[in-house]
Amino acid sequence: MEKTVAYLSQEWRDDAEKRLNAEITPQKMKGLTTSVAYVYVGCPGGKDKYLYFKTENGTFAQVLVGDGEPPQADFRVTGAYNLFADLSQGKISSQRALMSGKLKLKGNMVKALKLASLADRINKVLAKIPTKY
Amino acid sequence: MPKIFNTKDPYFIDFPKRVKKIQRQMAIEKIDVYLGSRLRTISWISDAFCPWRSYVVIPPEGLPTVFTFVIDAARITDESWLDEDHVLGYAPMGGMDQITIIADFIKDILKGKKGRIGYETGVSNYLPEGNLTHFEFEGFQAALAGSKLVNAHAIIDRLSLIKDEGTINRFRKASRIVDEGHKAVKEAISNGGWKKGMTETEVAGIAALAMRKAGSVWEWSFTGGNEIASGYRTGMAGCACTPPTTKKLKKGEPLMVDIHAMFKLALGDHSHNYFIGHATKRQLWHAQNYIDIVSKTLKAYKAGASPTSIAEEMMAFAEDRGFAEFMVPGFEHGIGLLGDEWRIGTGGGPFPYWTNPDHIYQENEVLICAMQYACPDEKIGFRYENPILILKNKCEAMSKFGLRVEVIE
Repeated sequence: MEKTVAYLSQEWRDDAEKRLNAEITPQKMKGLTTSVAYVYVGCPGGKDKYLYFKTENGTFAQVLVGDGEPPQADFRVTGAYNLFADLSQGKISSQRALMSGKLKLKGNMVKALKLASLADRINKVLAKIPTKY
Repeated sequence: MPKIFNTKDPYFIDFPKRVKKIQRQMAIEKIDVYLGSRLRTISWISDAFCPWRSYVVIPPEGLPTVFTFVIDAARITDESWLDEDHVLGYAPMGGMDQITIIADFIKDILKGKKGRIGYETGVSNYLPEGNLTHFEFEGFQAALAGSKLVNAHAIIDRLSLIKDEGTINRFRKASRIVDEGHKAVKEAISNGGWKKGMTETEVAGIAALAMRKAGSVWEWSFTGGNEIASGYRTGMAGCACTPPTTKKLKKGEPLMVDIHAMFKLALGDHSHNYFIGHATKRQLWHAQNYIDIVSKTLKAYKAGASPTSIAEEMMAFAEDRGFAEFMVPGFEHGIGLLGDEWRIGTGGGPFPYWTNPDHIYQENEVLICAMQYACPDEKIGFRYENPILILKNKCEAMSKFGLRVEVIE
């Protein structure tokens, strides 16, 4: 049985970084350089947490998790911890979450549209991590 | 980085300089951020056709950012001098609706402080004007709590009144395109062409095709694109709005061809009139009155004149000649880049947001010399419209299609 890790823990981050670099090639990422910060509001324990990705030429140069304010990013997606947990488990689609206003995006929407398929690829990889929510 | 254009292009407009002028006025009026929503403002700043509800946010320094419906943002970026980081899309998604995305953007400019936000409100007889709606105002006020929203459209109105060379050249080109439309219509209706059951809508389409071939983007007029009227429809009282119908051209009836072209957001608008097949002596008398008053009016436009001075002079002439009852006592309407229509000058008259009758024309203003001659009882009327450039001692009529009322055999 695979070992499960706590969502957004350091172990989860290490696994995420390993899987992302192994499973998503720079070609699949279209050589993209960008950054995204996910802000999780109301995490267990009461704090807000973040997950931050930075890609350089299609490679995941930085994958960070932490408490409070994330580093400055091209895109910032804010939502409740429980919502992100549901997203990760496929209980709700990111499209529905955005369209219903449960997720809040900040950044250039036109560029975000171009990145939508890439974000889906990333989410599919992260969903494979045996996670305890 | 904004796109760089050829400064030697006859249609070049120095948009960064234009924005800096706005920012200087904002500083004088202690406006921290300008939120434009009127179509005239969006056109004048973005240099792109923005048909969806759009906004422009101008910071105290640096480049403005246009916000438009996301489905059109990439196309506007392609056409505007602004780059993709300064043309943003809004959409019905969390954080992306027009109030939230713009309010968040303004908050970032204000860096957490409260400020004075210039916005655009007023009243207009022109439907696409684009003043901030009550709902939008309340939304921004709530989202920018603590900041003060002040009506600041006068900044744009003042700065956009006198046209620069690139803008004037765009208007000239738009008028040359309109002339191509008139040539095509004349050719189509001549030599019996009108006898083939030709309708007003068909005339509108003939003009549109010719103008599009010549480079027009759109028959921009909100009053029905190319306005074509024949017979009694030319003579409806005070009528200056004639979207074409399927009415067929008929011998002995007048035909009014009022067509519109758009070139780089500058607007061509010229009306020409005909008699189909035959004209009576009485009809020709009306036509001569019309030609004479148009000629006289074109001679009267110059720097220093005002709408009232011209109207008084022309109505006195019409009274002497015995046709005053057929004239609408107004001889112009405003024009600018797309969205800037109807009102002359910057307001300030007895009726807010209407033409100030005592507005003094200045060199390099562009307006439409416009007249409506209508005799409903005799089912006859003529319309004149032509963009004119105000010069020191005269005006330049931009459309060159000759002034006459021809009888098409």
